[in-house]
Amino acid sequence: MRGFIEIFKMDFKNLIRNPVLVGYNTVFSILLTLIMGFLTSGAYANPTDAYNYYAVSFLIYCMLSGAMTSTNCFMERDIKKPNLRIIHSPVGSFPIYFSKIVSSFLFDYICHLLVILILTLSLYLNFGGANIGYIILLMAPIEFAASALGVFFCCIFKTEEAASTLLSNAISILAFLGGTFFSFDGMGGVLAFASRLSPVKWMNDTFFSIIYDADISLVLPLFAGSVVVSAVLVFGCSKLFKTEDYLC
Amino acid sequence: MENILTVRNLSKSFKENKVLKSIDFEVNQGEILCFLGPNGAGKSTTINILTAALQSDGGEVLYKGEKIGGRLHGYKKQLGVVPQDIALYEELSAERNVRFFTSLYGLHGKELDAAVDKALEFAELADKRHDKVKTFSGGMKRRLNIACAIAHSPDIVIMDEPTVGIDPQSRNHILDSIKRLRENGMTILYTTHYMEEVEAISTRIIIMDHGSIIAEGTNESLKEEFQNEKRYFIEVEDTMSLNANDFYSVEGVKNAAIKDKQIQIISLKGIENLDRIIALLSDKDIKIRNISSETASLETVFLKLTGRKLRD
Repeated sequence: MRGFIEIFKMDFKNLIRNPVLVGYNTVFSILLTLIMGFLTSGAYANPTDAYNYYAVSFLIYCMLSGAMTSTNCFMERDIKKPNLRIIHSPVGSFPIYFSKIVSSFLFDYICHLLVILILTLSLYLNFGGANIGYIILLMAPIEFAASALGVFFCCIFKTEEAASTLLSNAISILAFLGGTFFSFDGMGGVLAFASRLSPVKWMNDTFFSIIYDADISLVLPLFAGSVVVSAVLVFGCSKLFKTEDYLC
Repeated sequence: MENILTVRNLSKSFKENKVLKSIDFEVNQGEILCFLGPNGAGKSTTINILTAALQSDGGEVLYKGEKIGGRLHGYKKQLGVVPQDIALYEELSAERNVRFFTSLYGLHGKELDAAVDKALEFAELADKRHDKVKTFSGGMKRRLNIACAIAHSPDIVIMDEPTVGIDPQSRNHILDSIKRLRENGMTILYTTHYMEEVEAISTRIIIMDHGSIIAEGTNESLKEEFQNEKRYFIEVEDTMSLNANDFYSVEGVKNAAIKDKQIQIISLKGIENLDRIIALLSDKDIKIRNISSETASLETVFLKLTGRKLRD
């Protein structure tokens, strides 16, 4: 356990020291919200609604993109070399990949809570009002699942580059279909059907129903689903992770 | 000497490529065992299996008579590994690096403080302890790389080409420090393709090629075993009155050649004939300026064993 804590602390500190990751998980999401909110504000009766829509949808997009934080933390070239020493140490293999998942999860979670705080205080955006607790609660298992997904992809593809590229493309497609940039709800036919298949759409629907309708009926299914997905991914990592993948 | 590691029938393949072909060897307590061989000989694969980072396809490794698989945690605690790459956090200070990696071996509190201090002093980096690694020279990073591996005072230190890409001064410093580790009771396993390093530090050598052990012994015994001839280089004032065939009358001379003012003679080892060669030159009134003989090297041993140069 001591070994795990030491590795976790080191991984977390390494993430905080990485200006690209800090920027991507905070400034990027805020900038996207501001740009898209400004560009589409004319299409909304109340311009703030445009900012609010993109604040929530980009928050979900950035939460899922947290998978790239864990791929970086796990197999980024400069990090991989010192991690090799951890492989040689007597801590066992579980703390190695699990600490990457937990540290990435915590880092992303804190960054995204900061984004909510900044947007709430600066633009007075609505993240659920009295129900914001449900939003914050739901974010945790989604962030964790995203971090586990990043490490899982690294275990499969063995390199950060391959894992990040695939994840980035997959998440962008799911986000596009899920209505992150604009909703497909009113378009009907194949597009609306494809949109309903995207998990991003399920997340968007759940978050918006909490924020605008104070409807918490979807909280439990999404929470439970994210926990199950996380457990499956961690189990997958335990089966796929081989220390020799670190040697090449 | 007590046997500390035993390797039996170790084999490993990567897809169709057999990189280790059932090798056997033993490591004794307190020795510096050097693995010498060209790139692709199987040295690093052997090392990676010994560090338990890589699974072998067959065979076994025993630490103090017991299979390492059953007591991996305890075995790894007794290992210090110096990887070929510099495995350090560049953004952290030297001390933070040593402290973190040493803490993974269960050391904490004052015990950890003392171990960190000792390791940094050993690497002669105590005065740079608060400096970030990214500000260090290549040689300093290499020394810190070793400090991180030995701070927890392991029984066995495994070093995989730890002097790659550094200047001769830093290399000598590292080689000296390896000898000091041995004096402190540690057992060293060292891989390299630099025979000079092996000659400088080894107490025993394993020569590998194409995944097999092709020779094993001390520096002296290997040279003795595989070097059956010696070379003399004699520089003289004038060779006008001299014919290479003259030297074949001397017992043991296999080959003689004269080029400019230098005579090269290859003689069978074990036959002391230098005095007769000198006498022959004196008889012809030829003044000798210089005499030297080529010392047998591991390079020639390797050449004899494989028909190739070590760095081919």
